[in-house]
Amino acid sequence: MAEKKPRVLLVDDESAITNNLSPFLERAGFEVSVAEDGEAALNRTADYSPDLLVLDVLMPRLDGREVLRRMRSAGNWTPVILLTQVGESSERAMALEEGADDYLNKPYDPHELVARIRAVLRRARPGQPPLAAASRLASGDLVFDRRALRAWLAGQELTLTPKALTLLDYFLTHPDEVLSRERLLDVVWGWDYPVGTRAVDTRVAELRRALKDDPDKPTFIDTAPGHGYRFLGEVRPQTAG
Amino acid sequence: MARLRPFLLPGLFFLLMLAAAVLLWSVALPDLLFQIRIDLGNIVFLIGLAGAAGWISARLWLRWRLRRTVEIVQAQSADERRRFLRRLDHELKNPLTAIRAGLANLASAPNQDLRSEVITSIDAQTLRLSRLASDLRKLAELEIRPLELTQVDSASLLQEAFDLAESQPGAAGRSLRLTLPQAPWPLPHIQGDRDLLFLAVHNLLDNALKFSGAGNTIEMRAFEDGSSIVVEVADTGPGIPAEEIDQVWEELYRGQGARSIPGSGLGLSLVRAIVTRHGGQVGLRSRTGQGTVVTLRLPVSQ
Repeated sequence: MAEKKPRVLLVDDESAITNNLSPFLERAGFEVSVAEDGEAALNRTADYSPDLLVLDVLMPRLDGREVLRRMRSAGNWTPVILLTQVGESSERAMALEEGADDYLNKPYDPHELVARIRAVLRRARPGQPPLAAASRLASGDLVFDRRALRAWLAGQELTLTPKALTLLDYFLTHPDEVLSRERLLDVVWGWDYPVGTRAVDTRVAELRRALKDDPDKPTFIDTAPGHGYRFLGEVRPQTAG
Repeated sequence: MARLRPFLLPGLFFLLMLAAAVLLWSVALPDLLFQIRIDLGNIVFLIGLAGAAGWISARLWLRWRLRRTVEIVQAQSADERRRFLRRLDHELKNPLTAIRAGLANLASAPNQDLRSEVITSIDAQTLRLSRLASDLRKLAELEIRPLELTQVDSASLLQEAFDLAESQPGAAGRSLRLTLPQAPWPLPHIQGDRDLLFLAVHNLLDNALKFSGAGNTIEMRAFEDGSSIVVEVADTGPGIPAEEIDQVWEELYRGQGARSIPGSGLGLSLVRAIVTRHGGQVGLRSRTGQGTVVTLRLPVSQ
């Protein structure tokens, strides 16, 4: 017991899922507790004090969104991975209100869930809101208004397609994390797309052009050969003004 | 009240004409001859009668036509829904049966090698179900999500989709050709969602590859026609029987010849949904033993 295992609270009303997922997560090095609905989740959050919640959205009584809303309005910034589709714009607007740390769509690959849990835990700053809860983010000369989906570089507004802006949003809320093309595709396009990896490359190229980022000496978006992309800049939340 | 509605206006018209006729019949108009007055009154009365009768029957007939059309459309969509559910049931049944068989097999598997073999096959079946779920969601979303409209360079899009198809392992042995107009001017740009249009063209080429064999020819050609561009993807594959052609665009439909070929049965439905969202049309011609050509017609600007 050199290091304390991170505690994960798994919230899902489907016991077929939690029964199989808990042992899998335990073997992956987490301590796991299960709550079968929203109310139980809020109670367990209080007495178990998990390091992270994996929260399903569709649940009886109190749904995942409401659980997250109540936690956040009570000032509880425990990282949350919300199990929902975030590709649609309506969902994305909601996601911003909620301030979940990451999203994953059912049916997901359990290995992918583990990867996300690790990434979120690594990024989490205990007791502080995640970048995903901020409405404006800044990195160097770049300022991004997440609500209005507008970006400025050194005061100049950038002209970008909606997809590129969504992609930028995901980069900025997941800095210093290697993001595979498949994952970006899932988050930005919302579905697996044949040869979608090319679509991702096209949008990344668009972003780089707009950000005047040199792929060989990037300050913002770095290529991780064979893996995907990584946002290099340090990102900080910016209070509106 | 609603039942009386078709009679109201014509009735009013009739009463008006009747009043005019009565006026002519009864009121003394000293300047006119008695007989002419009576004749005029009769004519006005008859016009009122015939007009009202014609008007009412036209309205009743239109009403009946509308009701018939609604009934036919409702019956069709009920039919389509039934067919869709039956196909969905079928698509779910096979992988689920395979999974249950796999699990039973797993419980009695004598050694680790066999067990991991079974697990691999169960995993493949669950992936198949995941893909089905994701394709269904895609289709549902396609109908409502906003298009990201930009000026799309249609020639470069077709070239890109073609290059990709050519590089697929499934392209081996087939002869692939792309014909894009150059003279007197190249294919115009069109307004659309590039990613979705690419997906549509990709699906068509993918189908052509899947349903053809070594020695077959696949051609993609495009041309401008009025205010549209037309894209055709043709193959010299086995073709589709005439009685199946109307159904190939339907969700989860798989023809006799397609049963053995992997796929979700949603590829062409996705193509149709994308093209329809762009204000375009799809079409398909096929002859068994000769091949198939699928046509997309897309407006240059919406």
